[in-house]
Amino acid sequence: MRVLIIEDEPRLAENIARSLRESAGYAVDIAPDGQEGCFLAEDEPYDVVLLDLMLPQMDGMQVLKKIRALGKQTPVLVVTARDDKESVVALLNAGADDYVTKPFDLGELLARTKALIRRGKGQPSPVLTIADLELNTVNRTVKRGDRAITLTAMEYRVLEYLAHRPRAVVSKTELLEHLYDYNWEKFSNVIEVYISGLRRKLNEGSSKQLIHTSRGQGYILHD
Amino acid sequence: MPQPSIKRRLIVIFVLSQALLAVGLLSTGVFYTHKRLIAALDTSLQGRATSIAALVRYSDESGGHVYFDDSLVPPSLDPDHPDIYAVWTEKSGLLVKSPNWPVGLQVDTTARHHFDLKWAGIRYHGLRISEVPILDREEGASFQPQWLTVVYAAPLHRVHKQVLDAGIFIAFASLVLMCLTTALALWGIQRGLLPLQQLASEAGQVSANNWKMNLPDTSRQIAELRPLTESMTEMLARLERSFKQQREFLGNATHELKTPVAVLKSTLQSLLHRPRSSEEYRMGIEESLDDMKRLEKLLEWMLRLARAEQWAHGALRRDLPVIELATTCDAAIERLQPLAQTRQIKMHLTNNAQVHLRADPDDLQLIWTNLLENAVRYGAEGSSVEIAISQPAANQVQIAFSDQGAGIPPEDLPHIFERFYRGDPSRTRATGGFGLGLAIVKAMTEAYGGTISAESTVGKGTKMSVLLPVSPELQGTPRTLAVQT
Repeated sequence: MRVLIIEDEPRLAENIARSLRESAGYAVDIAPDGQEGCFLAEDEPYDVVLLDLMLPQMDGMQVLKKIRALGKQTPVLVVTARDDKESVVALLNAGADDYVTKPFDLGELLARTKALIRRGKGQPSPVLTIADLELNTVNRTVKRGDRAITLTAMEYRVLEYLAHRPRAVVSKTELLEHLYDYNWEKFSNVIEVYISGLRRKLNEGSSKQLIHTSRGQGYILHD
Repeated sequence: MPQPSIKRRLIVIFVLSQALLAVGLLSTGVFYTHKRLIAALDTSLQGRATSIAALVRYSDESGGHVYFDDSLVPPSLDPDHPDIYAVWTEKSGLLVKSPNWPVGLQVDTTARHHFDLKWAGIRYHGLRISEVPILDREEGASFQPQWLTVVYAAPLHRVHKQVLDAGIFIAFASLVLMCLTTALALWGIQRGLLPLQQLASEAGQVSANNWKMNLPDTSRQIAELRPLTESMTEMLARLERSFKQQREFLGNATHELKTPVAVLKSTLQSLLHRPRSSEEYRMGIEESLDDMKRLEKLLEWMLRLARAEQWAHGALRRDLPVIELATTCDAAIERLQPLAQTRQIKMHLTNNAQVHLRADPDDLQLIWTNLLENAVRYGAEGSSVEIAISQPAANQVQIAFSDQGAGIPPEDLPHIFERFYRGDPSRTRATGGFGLGLAIVKAMTEAYGGTISAESTVGKGTKMSVLLPVSPELQGTPRTLAVQT
């Protein structure tokens, strides 16, 4: 999953980013102002955007309206210092999906971010199941039947993304775009390495293949 | 004890004055009626007395004897209370007395024409006519004509009854009228006091969310209420302003405090999120301390602003010493020397006026330091900052700070003195500003009764001018200054 944080207070942005990376394994980009934020939100396929309202150059409300005007369906979580009813209503009406007020709890911010990602992908439950595979996004554990599977961080991220989009064809490019932040060199062959590792671990003691290859197009997770 | 009430007082005053009027009316009415009735009675008595006199005749036998023909005595004025009369002749004295003449009643025949007397419990009003000729004296009679004296008196029963009737009528009419007018006055007073009630209920509607009193024009225009409504409206406007300012300040302050608190909280939370190396903990704690310092500084500035604004709103100031203005400017220049040196900016003070004023030197230094810091910070590197003290009027001093920098865009210029206003947030945040410096300067200046203004041209620079009032008697004349130096 890939998250964009638009926040002008560098320390706050860094703290949120660190928390998202460490506890959710998300790829995180930071935009220090509204213009940069708009630019990134327009060009990159984020799974959720965290938006501060008080921003230099272009304030959060303008950014939000611009993102929605471009037809982007990315869920937007607004971080605001104002919690009066009028501004909350105005925010939601401008296309925000949720909001947290400063000073927020990092745990709550994380939970809301995860919930927005799930809803954005049409997955209401935090526990995703495909056949006998069970992926718990809260404590990041994977089980097949009764057997717990230990994955590397990168393998988990690949599987988590695929599990959020079951039965859909996910290209290597899409995986790359959603698993790495802006500063990474993207090589598609690393995806093949993670997929083969995943297949091996998932199929241990089970004959049924769950990750299928659609030749020339990408991967499908289904039973 | 009942509450004092305007309405009750007015009613009491009204009823008392009405009662006084009624008593006056009653007494004049009774007096006048009595007088008229007595006058009418006098006329009647005159007629009766004359008629009685006419009944005195000469007897046919000569010698001038007279007799009284009592068969023709006119009826009494009041049949229930017969009149009395008596006739005297010049020669032989008493000629006749009416049959009902009270026994023992003596009438002084030399008494006044009109008289009042009381006999046996009856009051009489009487008349005496003298030197009345006997009318039927024949032509050519040999004897001397005789003169008569007639006394005719009527009991006053009837007059008294009429006067009493008139009195009762007047009293009754007064009472009815008094009731009517009192009711009318009550209604009028009630109506007249209505604007007061409206005022009270409107004043009751005033709250922290609604500062407007919606008085109808009719009550606004009432002369007696106008001073009250005007001062209330003014007071409300004043209260609203200061309340709004307080609320804005609180709103701004909480808003501004939330971000540093959020930073601090998130730093500590992410530090606790998983076990970390001691190096990571150390860095996290250092970061938190940094954030804490920023928070502390913000709080200090906000308190400083709150205090300055309180002074600007007329809070009591302690006794202030007389100081020389230029020394406070010198101190500010000295404080900013290090920053100016790193930016290679020169500061020049031009002092065209030796001004003394009553002030706390720390307050003035705070103003100058803030303005100078802005000038040095935003002036172009290697340029200069001019500080000029001049006296445009005997009771005013101007201190102007001019820099040669980027200037302030026209759209920002009207807002630069607002709290927490940052023309370019990224720039001021990077330099550690909170958007409070100029707000404090303005409040401080206003606390000393002064004003501040800014002119700026983008690309050329900014000029900040502070005008402070000075009292001319504090200024030493140049000669004494020369003696001192």
